[in-house]
Amino acid sequence: MSGLGWGLKSLRRHRLRAVLSVAGIAISAALLLDMVMLSGGIERSFTELLLSRGYQIRLTPKGTLPFDTEATLTGAGRLVEAIRRVPAVAAAGAVLGTSLHARRGDSLVTLFGYGIQPEAQALYTMLSGSDLAPGDSSGVLLSEPASRLLHAAVGDSVTLIGRLDPQVVTERLGRTLKVSGIVRWVYDYRGQPSVGTVLSVMQSLAGQRRDDRASLLTVRAEDDSLAATVAAGLRREFPQLEVNSVADLVRHFKQRLVYFRQLAYILGSMSLVVTVLLIGTLLTINVNERLGEIATLRALGISRRTVIREIMLEGAVLTTVGSIIGIVLGLGTARYLDSILTSFPGLPAAFSFFVPRRDSLATAGIVLLLTGTLAALYPAWLAATSPVAATLRAEAT
Amino acid sequence: MTATIPPGPVLVASGVSKDYPMNGGEAVHALRGVSLEIQRGEFIAVTGPSGSGKSTLLQLMGGIDTPTSGTVEILGTRLGSLSDRELTRLRLTRLGFIFQRFHLLPVLTARENVELPMAEAGVPRPARQERARELLQYVGLAHRAGHRATQLSGGEMQRVAIARALANRPALLLADEPTGELDASTGREILALFRRLHQDGTTIVVVTHDEHLAEQAGRIIHMLDGRVQAADS
Repeated sequence: MSGLGWGLKSLRRHRLRAVLSVAGIAISAALLLDMVMLSGGIERSFTELLLSRGYQIRLTPKGTLPFDTEATLTGAGRLVEAIRRVPAVAAAGAVLGTSLHARRGDSLVTLFGYGIQPEAQALYTMLSGSDLAPGDSSGVLLSEPASRLLHAAVGDSVTLIGRLDPQVVTERLGRTLKVSGIVRWVYDYRGQPSVGTVLSVMQSLAGQRRDDRASLLTVRAEDDSLAATVAAGLRREFPQLEVNSVADLVRHFKQRLVYFRQLAYILGSMSLVVTVLLIGTLLTINVNERLGEIATLRALGISRRTVIREIMLEGAVLTTVGSIIGIVLGLGTARYLDSILTSFPGLPAAFSFFVPRRDSLATAGIVLLLTGTLAALYPAWLAATSPVAATLRAEAT
Repeated sequence: MTATIPPGPVLVASGVSKDYPMNGGEAVHALRGVSLEIQRGEFIAVTGPSGSGKSTLLQLMGGIDTPTSGTVEILGTRLGSLSDRELTRLRLTRLGFIFQRFHLLPVLTARENVELPMAEAGVPRPARQERARELLQYVGLAHRAGHRATQLSGGEMQRVAIARALANRPALLLADEPTGELDASTGREILALFRRLHQDGTTIVVVTHDEHLAEQAGRIIHMLDGRVQAADS
């Protein structure tokens, strides 16, 4: 062990070259990190979103996925009661999603409405005010965008209109409700004005009361580990319904977004190739310029092992510095890209494409370090095996 | 690192030849059956015109290159019997090299350049720093210890290279045209340094065109066409 780090210090000789290489590695590292975050981020984010309220199972009309179509199931109350009796089920609730309107001055605005059972809801978190009590038919919950749109705060009254006569555009089903609380709806897209009432009120507004219709049922198992078993049991007991655990939904979701993963793998691989080329080229140029010097060192008795170690160290340091800068750059880029992608219509605002996690950072870091070290192998081999006598003769002429 | 030097000649070369293959299939005979023996404390100058085989002989004596035929023994060890790793170790601990173009590492200071062979030999940092200080003092460059090689003059660089060659207390110092890149005045300084090294008991072989340097040697080996033409004492 020389302890003098002559290889590393050699990087100082061509500072601009080293800085440009580090910049290139940083950009590659940023791209790789973003792709690692993207490849696993969608899945993780979607899972976290679905489990944000602890409900692991969704039941929908046969052949549909939650909120994928306007299909509804009938006899929601009866189904919920039956599900609540299933062993290992901790909670179950019904949700009806529908579009409705509200009066703002002389005009009507369009909203999205959730009919929920407050005692078993998987759709929102309270921001201010108070939650609806089970069976509270006079209260309404607003999202922040809905609150702004309707100029309504907690304690104010809002008039919701369920259906408009298509011929004369006049209201047929209306109801004035008192704002009980402001909430964040988990699945709302950015800026979506949404309101929520107890299920029966929303069913009335939507004209779906008679058949006790709901868009989906949500179920929470007593423990996450029991979710698959409970889902299988529900599948057997309610064959007329589509039963999906979170894992099932994530699988469906992944199939739809498979191109994102492919994109991530392709771009991630390209970034690694660029890193290898950058480090390999830089070090090969450096080594070729220093062949005489290295031959001298070998003549002096410096071992091949030391030469290889010093060159590999150069590669490792370039990669490490580039990676550190790249991680910062990658996190910033991911944040920016995420803000663009999540603004696409129909995507929940709480959804993220790029999820920065320790394991993503560690994976990107380890892959880059290995890549950088491997890229230094050829120049290191070149340095260690250059013929000492011939190189010294060439240097002398 | 202090290497114990066994008794007997420092170097014995027997019937050493070196051929370099050429593209046309014919070989260039750089050395033709050279034999010589170097005793401890000797100062030998190898002279001769360009292409006479001086530098090739030096490289073979230093285990940098391998002979086509013949043997080289250093302190009783036949170089041809050593693995690359053993040969590298022998060069590190038993031999010191001085080159015409100094070949210091420009990114290291004078002191670090002198420390380099000791660091490779595993000498602990305090010991090698002390030894580097002593050697730089010996070659008159203690005041330049912290300067990078690129900040030194040609003569200073060669003196640092001499200090580096002495770092592991070699049994044999091999110098290839050590004054070749220096002006006359600086060359004289190096000459004086070689004289002092010889007086202090160092065994030296110098390949040179420099008559003044050759005159300092106890023995002069004249080479021509890869053969030892004459040996003057």
